[in-house]
Amino acid sequence: MPPSQLQMLKTSLREQGVVGPQKSKKQRKQASKNGALKESRIRRNAALQGIREQFNPFEVKAASKTKYDFASNKNMGGRAAKGAISRPGVTKGLGEENRRKTLLVEMQRRKKVGGILDRRFGENDPTMTPEEKALERFVKEKQRGSQKGSLFDLEDAEEDDKLTHFGQSLSFDRPDKVDDFYEADLGGSDEDGADGFLEERPQKRRRLSDTDKTSEASLDEGTNTRAEIRKSKKEVMEEVIAKSKLHKYERQQAKEDDDDLRAELDKGLPDLYALMSGTPRQALPSPATNVGMNPDRLALLNGKECSQADKEYDERLRQMAMDQRAKPTTRTLPEEEQLQQEATRLKELEEQRLRRMRGEPEESESKAKEEVQGLNCDEDREQDEEDNFGLGSGLAGERQSRELRVEDEDEFVIEDNLIASGSELEILDAGESDEADDDQEFVQGLLSKEDAGRKGLSFSKDESGVARANGTTGDLAYTYRCPETHDDLLDITRAIAVEDLETVVQRIRALYHPKLASENKAKLGRFATVLVDHISYLPNQPELPPFAVLEALIRHIHSLVKTFPEETSRAFRSHLKSLHEERPTTPTPGDLVILTAIASIFPTSDHFHQIVTPAMLCMTRYLGQRIPQSLSDLATGTYLVTLCLQYQRLSKRYIPEVVNYVSSTLWALSPGISKQARIRPFPHHSLPESLRLSSASPESRRLDFWDVIPGQDDDTNESLKVALIDTHIALIDKMIDLWADKSAFCEAFATIYIQLQQLGQGFAFGSLNTTTRKSLRETSEKLNQHLQQSMAARVPLRLHNHKSLAIKTFIPKFEESYNPDKHYDPDRDRAEMSKLKAEHKHERKGALRELRKDANFIARESLREKKERDSAYEKKYKRLVAEIQGEEGREAKNYEREKRMRKGRK
Amino acid sequence: MPGIVGGLEPGKKRKRKDEVSGNSKKSRTALKAREPDPQEEVLGLEQKILESRTNYNSIHTLLDHIRVGGSAEEKDILAAVALCRVFCRLMAAGNLNKPQDKASNEATIVQWLRERLQDYENRLLRLLKDEDAGRQSTALTLLMRLIKEEATHLNKSEEAIWRHGLFEKLLRTLVEDGVAEDTRVEFVEKYVGEYDEVRYYTFARLADMSSKDPSEPVVQNTLSILSAVETIPEQQDELENFYIGPPSKAKHELYSLTAHKKQAQKAWMALLRHTLTKAQRKSILDLMSHRIAPWFLKPELLLDFLTDSSNIGGSTSLMALSGLFYLMQHKNLDYPQFYQKLYSLLDAQILHSKHRSRFFRLLETFLASTHLPAALVASFIKRLSRLTLYAPPSGIVVVVPWIYNLLKNHPSCTFMIHRNSELDKEEDEGGPERHGDPFRIWESDPMETDAIESSLWEIHMLQTHYHPSVATIAKIISEQFTKQAYNLEDFLDHSYGTMLDAELEKDIKRAPEIEYEIPKKIFMKHEVGSGKEDGLVVKLWSFN
Repeated sequence: MPPSQLQMLKTSLREQGVVGPQKSKKQRKQASKNGALKESRIRRNAALQGIREQFNPFEVKAASKTKYDFASNKNMGGRAAKGAISRPGVTKGLGEENRRKTLLVEMQRRKKVGGILDRRFGENDPTMTPEEKALERFVKEKQRGSQKGSLFDLEDAEEDDKLTHFGQSLSFDRPDKVDDFYEADLGGSDEDGADGFLEERPQKRRRLSDTDKTSEASLDEGTNTRAEIRKSKKEVMEEVIAKSKLHKYERQQAKEDDDDLRAELDKGLPDLYALMSGTPRQALPSPATNVGMNPDRLALLNGKECSQADKEYDERLRQMAMDQRAKPTTRTLPEEEQLQQEATRLKELEEQRLRRMRGEPEESESKAKEEVQGLNCDEDREQDEEDNFGLGSGLAGERQSRELRVEDEDEFVIEDNLIASGSELEILDAGESDEADDDQEFVQGLLSKEDAGRKGLSFSKDESGVARANGTTGDLAYTYRCPETHDDLLDITRAIAVEDLETVVQRIRALYHPKLASENKAKLGRFATVLVDHISYLPNQPELPPFAVLEALIRHIHSLVKTFPEETSRAFRSHLKSLHEERPTTPTPGDLVILTAIASIFPTSDHFHQIVTPAMLCMTRYLGQRIPQSLSDLATGTYLVTLCLQYQRLSKRYIPEVVNYVSSTLWALSPGISKQARIRPFPHHSLPESLRLSSASPESRRLDFWDVIPGQDDDTNESLKVALIDTHIALIDKMIDLWADKSAFCEAFATIYIQLQQLGQGFAFGSLNTTTRKSLRETSEKLNQHLQQSMAARVPLRLHNHKSLAIKTFIPKFEESYNPDKHYDPDRDRAEMSKLKAEHKHERKGALRELRKDANFIARESLREKKERDSAYEKKYKRLVAEIQGEEGREAKNYEREKRMRKGRK
Repeated sequence: MPGIVGGLEPGKKRKRKDEVSGNSKKSRTALKAREPDPQEEVLGLEQKILESRTNYNSIHTLLDHIRVGGSAEEKDILAAVALCRVFCRLMAAGNLNKPQDKASNEATIVQWLRERLQDYENRLLRLLKDEDAGRQSTALTLLMRLIKEEATHLNKSEEAIWRHGLFEKLLRTLVEDGVAEDTRVEFVEKYVGEYDEVRYYTFARLADMSSKDPSEPVVQNTLSILSAVETIPEQQDELENFYIGPPSKAKHELYSLTAHKKQAQKAWMALLRHTLTKAQRKSILDLMSHRIAPWFLKPELLLDFLTDSSNIGGSTSLMALSGLFYLMQHKNLDYPQFYQKLYSLLDAQILHSKHRSRFFRLLETFLASTHLPAALVASFIKRLSRLTLYAPPSGIVVVVPWIYNLLKNHPSCTFMIHRNSELDKEEDEGGPERHGDPFRIWESDPMETDAIESSLWEIHMLQTHYHPSVATIAKIISEQFTKQAYNLEDFLDHSYGTMLDAELEKDIKRAPEIEYEIPKKIFMKHEVGSGKEDGLVVKLWSFN
């Protein structure tokens, strides 16, 4: 059983020597003499404190709740173990102490200005002996002496060296110094002074605001008044700046006036000299002799208005800044670099094309719409990349194209050139002569020599002037309206020969070049769509247009498409739409030309293309659904097959309809092929017998485009039949080239092979002419070869070499050595966010706690102060009362005494 | 029918008005003045007949009007309508009932009236064959009204009304050549479809007639009447709509559902026994599962017809499928070598046919069972994939998801798209290199084609189809099979037209890609030595 509390206290007191045997008087005197008494008192106090702590069970606080070790590894690390025992009393006392040091001081200094900072060494330090203090002072003195390098060392200029006024520093960098600045004082300060002052001001502001910030946390009520002060100071600052600027300006003005006056006086000086010397004045040097001098400057010297000169100068400057020539031009590249650049550009374009051709790996759920949308997104992205090459898209692009001087860009180059020759008076940059080679073809093709040579002449002049070799009939006008609709264009072209159409288009494009007027861009856009209409209109007319014209028109459209892609594409699409809705199985020659134009204008290899895909569908629809009734039908179909193959020349996509069509057409045309050989895996249509080639086979010829128009002696046109057979054999040849690598090549071409073999035998073969026979044999041989190769190369499909998919798991992820303090959020951002939030919460709680304690402290302190005041008052009151009472008592005693004395006298 | 009702109405009104106003001079003069107006004239005659017996002879006049026919078109219809009213009234008044006393004057008149009625009926029947459809329709309505009146007022037996009387004649006329299709349809819609006993007797009569008369038009018209019948009673108590009125006996055969069905079955069987044209057969097959087979008490009777049809081949056999399927599904019929038959239907036409979507719906059902042998399923897959090589895009987009679904259901068939171990084994054994396709396309038995040894190179080839959607769909067989199944309905109803529509409907959102190089020549040959290759079009065609 432990000893009782009292006993323990006694023993500990004895051990610490607080209590002990009584000391004799002598001993006590001795101790007080050498200061041991004081020392022992301190020691005793400390010992007592220790004992008190030891015996106060509330001084030490154990952790509020203990967790089992295995439930938490909190006490594993040193951090948590340390905090197992806390001393709330101590911490509270510390906090109190800190507050007393900071908050209390602030509280007391509130609403007070100035004060005294005690800088004496060890003044408030009770541990320092007077000797130590003296030593400290001496050391400081010595250091100061040794550090003093020179009088002008600004770096560590001491307080002593600063300017003083009656012993007071004039600088404001001491925090206890209140600046007594008043704005009215500034009036007379000179330039330098104002500047120096301005430089110093912000620093001071900053400091002020800093102290504000720190005090804001502790002193809530104090901030409002401060804010007011701050605002007024800001206004003051602004006014100061404004005023100083005004003064500066006035001073400059005065100085300039002085200078002017002086210059005037100087000018008069020679005269004065002359007068003084008495000699006649020499002739003044004329302004013309002043060669080296700028006339403006001269004018300025000659007393031109100063402000006007300034204005002129500004104007000039602006002009120079706006000048095109002011911009740096790109370096003219040497030939190798040009070629290299061109090569890389082409390579990039090709890569883009390939990417578009491959399409994008789509999702497995490939409903057409989703897919198309996906593709669109994809294309959008590509478009962004391609914007770097946005040719013909504004001036920058055009300049670039001119500098590149690429061959396929020649349309644009010529376009610029045309404008230059027609309307721009400025001569193009020196590069033009280089371009001449490229342009030559176009200059000759599009403009007559005279036109090209007529640079700088306006069109209005030309109209009245004599045009030599102008158009086929020589009376071609130079200006035209820009056709808004196809009818407009028909109006314009009614009077002119179809061969001149190209020149007309060229002139319209030049007249309405987008550079010339802002609305020309829209006009040309409509013109492009009108041209699209026109190329489908021309071939449908009874008088057939020459293909050179169509070709030129298509090339014009192509170059316009680059500038107006949307309008023109809409025009193409509307043509496709009318083909699809009005005549799906009877395309006109115009439709065929449109389809051909699409093949050259748009990249037909794209996986998806807004124009090419519908165009392909239109063609295959004809091939799949039209049952040919005449040779012209067959010619149309053959043309479409050719086009289909041309569309797929790069992407080599498989077209089932083409295989079917070629096969059934050969069947229809071939002479003497027995009907029972219908082994074709697609529907057989009984075609008119008249389409068959009769036994007499004339010489073969090439198919002509106009064969697609039905003629009179259509079905008996043997040469056409031979031409068709020839073409189809050539087409088969092409198809073999395109699709020989496909996995099911043998299956797709099995029927065609049988047909070719049958055609190469017996009666059928006999009715063919020699060239056809030759090509037939060659193609048949080639097909046979490829079939065998394809068969030999064939391996079973291995389409599912995918990585096997993991089964979805629902087992929770198990952490080894799990730490509940750590966050195992897989989402990095979220984890960071929650960490920040926790931190914020923690800090907030801490701050609140501190604020609460502060408030408590303040209340306590103010209460204490009040009590002090009250007690002081009480004391004073009591004293006064006592004093008065004492006086009264004395007076009473005196009175008594007097009375007694009087009595005694009596 | 509004026309007729309208025709009746003014007559009645006029009569009432006349009665009220009496035969005042004014009205008589007005009548006279308007005498050329045929309506007035006919109405006047009608009025007279009804007023007194002495004017019965006017019936003759009216009958003559009908006979005149074409010349005065207004008149004959008016006369017919008026006569109908006259006879109805007379019948209602009992003027046509044979009196007890046969020898009396009365009897003579009744006899005479009955003859006239006969006359009138014949004329109406003739009118039914008129060129004008409107008149036919009027005649039909009048005839049916007469039938009703006769049945109610003349105390005729059921037999007399429906089997031998006017109704029989009416039907006989209807199936003959001159009657317009519209009239038959109207007859079915208004009477056969509405009234149960009309339908019952129609079926009975048609069965009789078509078994007796195998001529071409009769068969055709019978078919058109039969196929127009839409309503099929399901329950006994649905039989409650009667034209003449419910039969008195509670156990009457008209109340029996089986009797009704029996009649229908008889009628159809009589029709099916005839030699039918292809179009007729197709239209019958088209109706088979929802209009015909439900009538049949013994559906196995249809089996012969269906088997014959499915043996014809082509689209006919395709259409017979749904009938067969109905029988198998609902009537539990067994059809030997069904899958062989089905397999033979996968011919060159199938993907181009307009019945494609219908066929695929059925095919999906037929092959839905997971218990089918893998070899059989593989044959179907392989054969269809072979056909896709020559199919339009709309056909391909159906086949590929269908194949996907089958492969998903029959994992042993996935060797057709991925054959790894097999190849390794072969190489190890150093066995005979089997290049080419082990699949035997000419083998008619789907169990013997060795399709499961083959691979779907065709679908692989279609992954480079020219149409982007088709190519993408073809790619699903080389993706991971994560989707459970594709809903075939989404892919069935496409065509060139719908695909183009879908493509061209939406406006372009952003500028399309443009070929960066402007070709020097499009229609013309490049100059020799220009280094550019001519396009295929330029090579093969000359443009002058």
